[in-house]
Amino acid sequence: MGRYVIRRLIQAIPVLIGATLLIFCIVFALPGDPVAALFGDKRPDPAVAEVLREQYHLNDPLLLQYWYYISGVLFRGDFGVNFAQVPVSEILAGKFQVTLNLALTALIMEAILGVGLGLWAALRRGRATDTMILASTLLLISIPTLVTGFVLQLVLGVKLKQWTGLDIFPVAGVFAGLRSYLLPGFVLAGVSVAYLTRLTRTSLVETLRADYIRTATAKGLSRRRVIGRHGLRNALIPLITYLGADLGNLMGGAVITETIFNLPGIGNQLFTSVYLREQPVVVGTITVLVLIYILANLVVDLLYAVLDPRIRYE
Amino acid sequence: MEVGEPQKMLYPQDTTETEGAEVLAAVFSPLVRYDENKQPVEEAAESITTTDSKVWTIKLKSSYTWHDGTPVKAEDYVRAWNFAALQDNAMSSSYFFGRVDGYNDVHPGEGKTPTAKEMKGLKVVDDTTLEVTLTAPFSQFKTMLGYTAFYPLPASAIGSDGKLSPTFGEKPIGQGLFKVDKPYKKGTDQTIEMSVYDKFPGKKPTGWTKLQFKVYTSSETAWNDLQAENLDIHDSLPATAISTAKQVLGDRYFDEPDASIGYIGVPLKYNKEFENVDVRKAISMAIDRKTISDTVFSGTRSPADDFINPAIPGYRQGACTACTYNPAEAKKLYESAGGPKTIELGYNADGGHKEWIEAVANNLRANLGIEVTPKPFEKFQGILDALDAKEYKGLFRMGWSIDYPAAENYLTPIFGTGAIGTGSNYGGYSNKEFDDLVAKGDQATDAAEGLKFYQQADDILLKELPYIPVYFYRSNFGHSTKVKNVKLNLLNQINWADVEKG
Repeated sequence: MGRYVIRRLIQAIPVLIGATLLIFCIVFALPGDPVAALFGDKRPDPAVAEVLREQYHLNDPLLLQYWYYISGVLFRGDFGVNFAQVPVSEILAGKFQVTLNLALTALIMEAILGVGLGLWAALRRGRATDTMILASTLLLISIPTLVTGFVLQLVLGVKLKQWTGLDIFPVAGVFAGLRSYLLPGFVLAGVSVAYLTRLTRTSLVETLRADYIRTATAKGLSRRRVIGRHGLRNALIPLITYLGADLGNLMGGAVITETIFNLPGIGNQLFTSVYLREQPVVVGTITVLVLIYILANLVVDLLYAVLDPRIRYE
Repeated sequence: MEVGEPQKMLYPQDTTETEGAEVLAAVFSPLVRYDENKQPVEEAAESITTTDSKVWTIKLKSSYTWHDGTPVKAEDYVRAWNFAALQDNAMSSSYFFGRVDGYNDVHPGEGKTPTAKEMKGLKVVDDTTLEVTLTAPFSQFKTMLGYTAFYPLPASAIGSDGKLSPTFGEKPIGQGLFKVDKPYKKGTDQTIEMSVYDKFPGKKPTGWTKLQFKVYTSSETAWNDLQAENLDIHDSLPATAISTAKQVLGDRYFDEPDASIGYIGVPLKYNKEFENVDVRKAISMAIDRKTISDTVFSGTRSPADDFINPAIPGYRQGACTACTYNPAEAKKLYESAGGPKTIELGYNADGGHKEWIEAVANNLRANLGIEVTPKPFEKFQGILDALDAKEYKGLFRMGWSIDYPAAENYLTPIFGTGAIGTGSNYGGYSNKEFDDLVAKGDQATDAAEGLKFYQQADDILLKELPYIPVYFYRSNFGHSTKVKNVKLNLLNQINWADVEKG
């Protein structure tokens, strides 16, 4: 298994280089001069603009710029600086915690709500509860995050406090500790909860039809044991795959949620940096996201063996 | 207090955008501030005098100290200004010092190396006196001195490597009302914490000592936070909130002129079709400014009727007669002048300009009977590049926010012949009479006298319409029940000493 992990990690290197180069090209191809973007509607003083371009290697060809960047990252662990001369690693370190907190909050909500509701629906298949759960997940999927975000912020953040004086859900920022993440976490998890509910339901319904379930029931095991030990455990495999991949999605999907709730995370930063064309920050952020994605997938693959002993690595 | 993320670290000489300037204005005390009559009055300066508008003597109040307790000296100003002007330092405010004698030695322009490190026009006379010699007389120099670029810098701001120290950028040491409590990590921290500096000699607020700037990326979110009373002051309410803000906040909502202006730019230098002034006049008269301000901007803008904004001394109401909506007259004029049958309207798609540009296009289509195509560019710079390359010949959207509150700032940088190529004269307008009048205004020894000439120069613009003014910006701000007496000054910054607890 150790060899398997190492091989997987080595495989990540070309992925990482490919991804950063691609992002580098995309950011480079964006229209507009990044130096001019710093000056708004005013024309930058040509001499000042020249010094800045020189400083950030903006006059060099793309591949050379990429080499400056990637050699810094690989040999010195230096992710470069943004236009305000702040090291990118410093910016990301601070923001990362916020996004991770948010993504984990969302992931936990997703797992509890999604699996719980899915389980409930599967066991009540065909009845009113099942139909209601299916209908509400459909509703949740069809409303854009932007809308749920603003509506919940207004209703639970602003109005609830105005009407009752209770300050449960902060409107914005991360000043209230973990409480700050509840509302944005839920908004971020929203669509995924719906998918996970449906996935759980289908997967469990499928599993419950399998031969070994019939065997287990025939052996006289209790219903709780049949469903919990034999049904759910096998049904979990596709769910874990989904959750693992979704962690990456959540980190990336945080752009909208973080902007609405003013959370100083990666998503928020990515938005600003793309706007300002801060190449090093954009590429650095993406690099970290790619890494997380790769790691999350690795963990998922390793978890398979725990759930299903037939799966082995070499 | 709501604020957007400052674009750079907190260096006064590298800050030309509003958010960073707002934070710095709390930490530094300017040489002049602006009174109720919009006139510059001495703040950190004891007196600012000149006899010929060329040599200026600035005497400092000796009572000012840096936040580390040491006195502020004349050399602190000279150091800061020389640093800002030196080309190698690439400070974004360097052009503010372009009128100081010796600027060309330290800032010779693209591709050239500076021949000096200091401007010969700056002289320390004694600890509290400095003398500034300009290349040519400029009657509005005193007005300029209220701006961020003219703040002083303590010796510790510049490191041994000759660059601004990052420690200073995170926790600037100023000589103003508030001192920064802990370093602000740009991009990470969401608040900038300050408290009143005990030894500040000017007016201090009563009843409170702590000031916190909260960084928001979305103005809508800040508005929600204000309603939930988690935020006390929001000075740039989003357009979506304006219709309800009045009702929600009542007399805690304010709507005041802001010194910025929006135009339709005319590529005079690049397209002869717009050469005839009647064509420009007709286009101007065909635009229904009132409806655009009220509907498209939900009242957050007001119809423009001068090249000078009402927030600034020198504005004359209704000065632009061609800015009055008159579709019938417009059509007649346009046809007799033989204006182009098709027009392109360029705008940058990243700044929320699509709606009003389309409204203007509709106006022109309906009223002049011509074909009008709005043409989006990703960034404003794209329009400028296309103009420079002579690829683009259409009208374009333009905006101007002032650098310092003087009428002159609406003229020289945008319409002066000298501003073609290096300044913001994107249309390439050039008029000798206009340039002469502005120069006369600059040479006046009395600011009021200068204003008369600027207004005459403005009259030429009103007659010639090198650009077509469309709207004036407005400041829409509000505050919570926890504070009162919140007022904005000419730079759209809050007079902190006046704010009281509610």
